[in-house]
Amino acid sequence: MSYETQALDAGGLDLGAAEDMRSSALAPAEPLGREFARLASGLGLASVFGLALGARSGGVALLQHALGAPLGLMVVAAVAAPSLFVRLALINTPLRPAQMIGAVAQGTFTAGLVLAGLAPAVAMLVVTIESAAAAAWMSGLGLWLAGGIGLFNLLAALHKHLAGHELRARSREFIAIAVFSVLACALAARAWYAWLPLLRGAS
Amino acid sequence: MNAQLFSVLDELLRSPEAVAERIRRREDLRPLVVAALLALGLGAGTFGAVLATARGGVQLGYSALKLPLAVLVTLCLCVPAFAAIARGLGRNIDLGGMVGLSLSAAARASLVLLAFAPAVWFVLDRGIGYHYSVLLSAVCYGFAGISALRVMAAGLGRDGRGLGILLCCAAVLLPTGAQSAWMLRPFIGRPAQASVPFLRHKEGSFADAVYQSAFSSVGRYRSSARVFEEETGE
Repeated sequence: MSYETQALDAGGLDLGAAEDMRSSALAPAEPLGREFARLASGLGLASVFGLALGARSGGVALLQHALGAPLGLMVVAAVAAPSLFVRLALINTPLRPAQMIGAVAQGTFTAGLVLAGLAPAVAMLVVTIESAAAAAWMSGLGLWLAGGIGLFNLLAALHKHLAGHELRARSREFIAIAVFSVLACALAARAWYAWLPLLRGAS
Repeated sequence: MNAQLFSVLDELLRSPEAVAERIRRREDLRPLVVAALLALGLGAGTFGAVLATARGGVQLGYSALKLPLAVLVTLCLCVPAFAAIARGLGRNIDLGGMVGLSLSAAARASLVLLAFAPAVWFVLDRGIGYHYSVLLSAVCYGFAGISALRVMAAGLGRDGRGLGILLCCAAVLLPTGAQSAWMLRPFIGRPAQASVPFLRHKEGSFADAVYQSAFSSVGRYRSSARVFEEETGE
């Protein structure tokens, strides 16, 4: 079934929403395989940052941090984003699943890219700083910076798809997205804290 | 070639916007990179040597070598992050462009340090003391950094997004630059020290030093042994 047919089928429930949906559904979307590849690339790039964190202790810590760093992004992509999609669908926003996947892939890839870019600087900092607390603080700063930029990209992509509705619908979307943002930050922070020993002050 | 180098150096000082435009258009960046490296070596090297005049001797050579090295190491570590941040926040600038932009900014800062060198030398020669020398050099670095910001701002755009990218880049540059310089210290050299080391022992980090100085500034002096006890619980 094509996107256009799906949008027209939805028109039986709400004509206004279907109009919006048809216009956004007709917007060219990237093939799903490419979006998943972008998502996986983002997670792979994030593990480079994990390797940099693991360089402080070396050995098994390299692997542990390389696996732990993408986990925060994965939790947001796999748990928080589907939850946002369900909430947005419940309030009848014209967002297609493929568009949601595209937005999540963009956010994850950007966060991974920034984490990989930060890796050389963070490796130098965590290896040369003696205090475990200061090293944890620097690593946390990097994760927050990259996570923030990733979230900004995800929200920008969503905004592109959701722009141009009536004020009431937009205010409901805004609340759903604001709740998602808080939840995404909390979940990512929890995952990173649990899976990155360096953040807990281990040296 | 010499005339071209001087013309690029002149452009770096007078028109950061023209330098940013040259990088955006991806013209031949070789003269810009050569001129920037030359300015960095000459400006930061001279300022480093001037800082060491209070200690004199072999410290002059060490500081002349280490200050440009600290800037270059910081750039090597930070430029990938700058490029990723700019790309992540929607500025279409690739790694090559960011290398050119950051190197130009560092070169402009080094030339500003070169301009400060005679005045700093005069003041140090009057014997202002070690701690005031540190403070004076920090003020000079601050002015040099502000002049470098003009190049970065011209390249990244003077809108809200450009400002956001600049702030994120600053959040990466400040701790990295401070720690690189900390690893390569001393630059001034304590007059009481019997011998001049090329590098001092690790002795914590820049962040630890700031943390301890924050206590010292309010009259709470913490010995190294006490800090060790607090951190390890032994």
